[in-house]
Amino acid sequence: MGEGLVEVPGGLTMQERRIWGLFAAPGMVWLGLFFVVAFYAVISVGLGNINTLYQPIPYWNPLDWNVGYLVQAIESVVPGGQNWAVVVRSVIYILTAIIGALLIGYPVAYYASRHAGRWRGLVVVLLILPFWISYIMRMFAWTNLLAPDGYGSKILSALSIDSLFSSIGLLDGTDWLGGQGITVIIALIYGYVPFFILPLFASLDRIDQRVIEAARDLGAPPPSSFWRVILPMSKPGIRAGLVLVALPMAGDYYTQTLMSGSPSTSMIGNTINDYIQGGPDKSLGAAMTILLSVVLLFFMLYYLRTLRREQGEVAA
Amino acid sequence: MTLPRFSEPVSASEKPETGGVFKIYSYADYLNPDVLKEFGKREGVEVKVTTFDSVDEAFSKLSTAGLEFDVIVSTPDQLSKLVGRKLLQPLNEELVPNLEKNIWEEIQSPFYDVGSRYTVPYVVYTTGIGWRNDKVNVDPAGLENGWNALWDATSQRGKTQLLDDKREALGMAMLREGQPNLNTASPELINIALAALNELAQNVRPKVQISAYETLPAGRITIGQLWSGDLLSGAISYLPKGTPASVMSYWYQAEGGPVFNDILTVAAASTKPIIAHRFLNYMMEPQVAYDNFVNFVGYQPPQKSLDAAKLFDEGILPKSLSNAVVTQEAYAAGNGFLTLTAEGEQAWEKAWSKFRAG
Repeated sequence: MGEGLVEVPGGLTMQERRIWGLFAAPGMVWLGLFFVVAFYAVISVGLGNINTLYQPIPYWNPLDWNVGYLVQAIESVVPGGQNWAVVVRSVIYILTAIIGALLIGYPVAYYASRHAGRWRGLVVVLLILPFWISYIMRMFAWTNLLAPDGYGSKILSALSIDSLFSSIGLLDGTDWLGGQGITVIIALIYGYVPFFILPLFASLDRIDQRVIEAARDLGAPPPSSFWRVILPMSKPGIRAGLVLVALPMAGDYYTQTLMSGSPSTSMIGNTINDYIQGGPDKSLGAAMTILLSVVLLFFMLYYLRTLRREQGEVAA
Repeated sequence: MTLPRFSEPVSASEKPETGGVFKIYSYADYLNPDVLKEFGKREGVEVKVTTFDSVDEAFSKLSTAGLEFDVIVSTPDQLSKLVGRKLLQPLNEELVPNLEKNIWEEIQSPFYDVGSRYTVPYVVYTTGIGWRNDKVNVDPAGLENGWNALWDATSQRGKTQLLDDKREALGMAMLREGQPNLNTASPELINIALAALNELAQNVRPKVQISAYETLPAGRITIGQLWSGDLLSGAISYLPKGTPASVMSYWYQAEGGPVFNDILTVAAASTKPIIAHRFLNYMMEPQVAYDNFVNFVGYQPPQKSLDAAKLFDEGILPKSLSNAVVTQEAYAAGNGFLTLTAEGEQAWEKAWSKFRAG
């Protein structure tokens, strides 16, 4: 290298750092090509213009960027805007779905990490099993199960679950695939709950058994040791899981397309998809994508900040 | 409209290209695989079909993603955009003799492409209402405005279809409102249609898709806006065992309803232009067109020799669906979706995305 070795904090020389840096290179190149460049293209289209045939002209030079479509996108998602209803619906669906994922996923992760005993290996395999089949294929399976003459619908009907849902206003009629919001929410929970369970499982698994024993020794009954020790210590896992499922849900559109297909259950991802696949509003679609990304980035940063604060507390 | 030629057509004296992959861009399930296989064997190429869901999607991918195909299936309303973007190449009529020999005279030099400079017709269709007469009791023909049958089908909420095509969907709403100009650019008329679609969404909650050729026979859809070919395609290929074709019914607006045809074109980017011409010609051979129609697609080719009435009499196609074929008279009297002005396109698209957002 021809340079003198410089002592750096952490005990690594500059040269050693470079060598270790090489290991990260393939990942960085990959991310650069398929995320940074692609996302830059989205920005260039969203902040670009269109030609006379309403096809987008990307502006690659940031100095040329034009915020017209972004302004249009923002105007469409505020109250009274064209996409306000979609935004409200998406937020309701996603919130309900992540609460559902929490209620279903936590007990599973808890059991798997603390009480599965000799079945633990099997339980972990079962948790990973859904990843063997693609998300879309799993949704397709449900479109058959929930069809009016499908086994799923028949079982739900035999158990009177459809009439129960109908009577409390969650289901309109008995056709699960007939443009029902509840079906989309259930499908979202079903599709994403494995992504919630795994990080939570890892986090619960890391809790030192001795801490729990200490709680018991100090006289805490099981519910109290759960509330005051285990639950707080698993918070980072819960948060990681929720972020991991909420982010993709926010951009999801094929769950809605497959399970409902009706405009009355459109989510924000569908709207973006319509803009981009359809006619002359591709630039607006790209601007909506930028907007959505900014909102999600905000949540991501919040998550990272709380994570760092918690780690700081643990270290202290 | 006579479209400009931006380049010379390929010369008829050139030798056909050999080997490799022959690429077609089309709707899904819109070409009989056996017919394609036979063509591949004949020309010594591997035929590969890539599919799109809507012609809007197809145009946007062709013009922005630079996809390269040999043959593109499309609709006349897309034509001037496709030509304007130089995505098509002009045809050499010497290489498609079957156009003059076998195709209805009305479409040999159609108004949307005078002189057939870029296109040959593929199949003809009407747009109407299809329903399961064993599950829903309607009679559009008995109504003053037949389209109301769909608006009235409140008992079928969620089991209805609206075509995922802004022109068809909003166009139907215009006809339901008694507004016959399907190519209007007037924002007021488009907004009236949008209001009618919103009412439809409220009352019968349709799925916005184009797969009723499969979902109607399966009973997941009981009534919807359909293309005529969907009924026959459904009857030919998608009926579950034990369900007779007679459970499906079809209605279309005979006067002023949408009647049109799809088109086959040769892509400007084609690396096999001679084979592409031969493909267009092949699809217009009477026997090939017949096999494609009756054994798979259900959309009817505008072939002089094809006697649709005979197909129903002989039981090759179900008699109950005899109104799903397009007669030459109906075609001549039909109402079509044409290319909109740029402002018109924008207005239709705005209304459509508003509707899609729920």
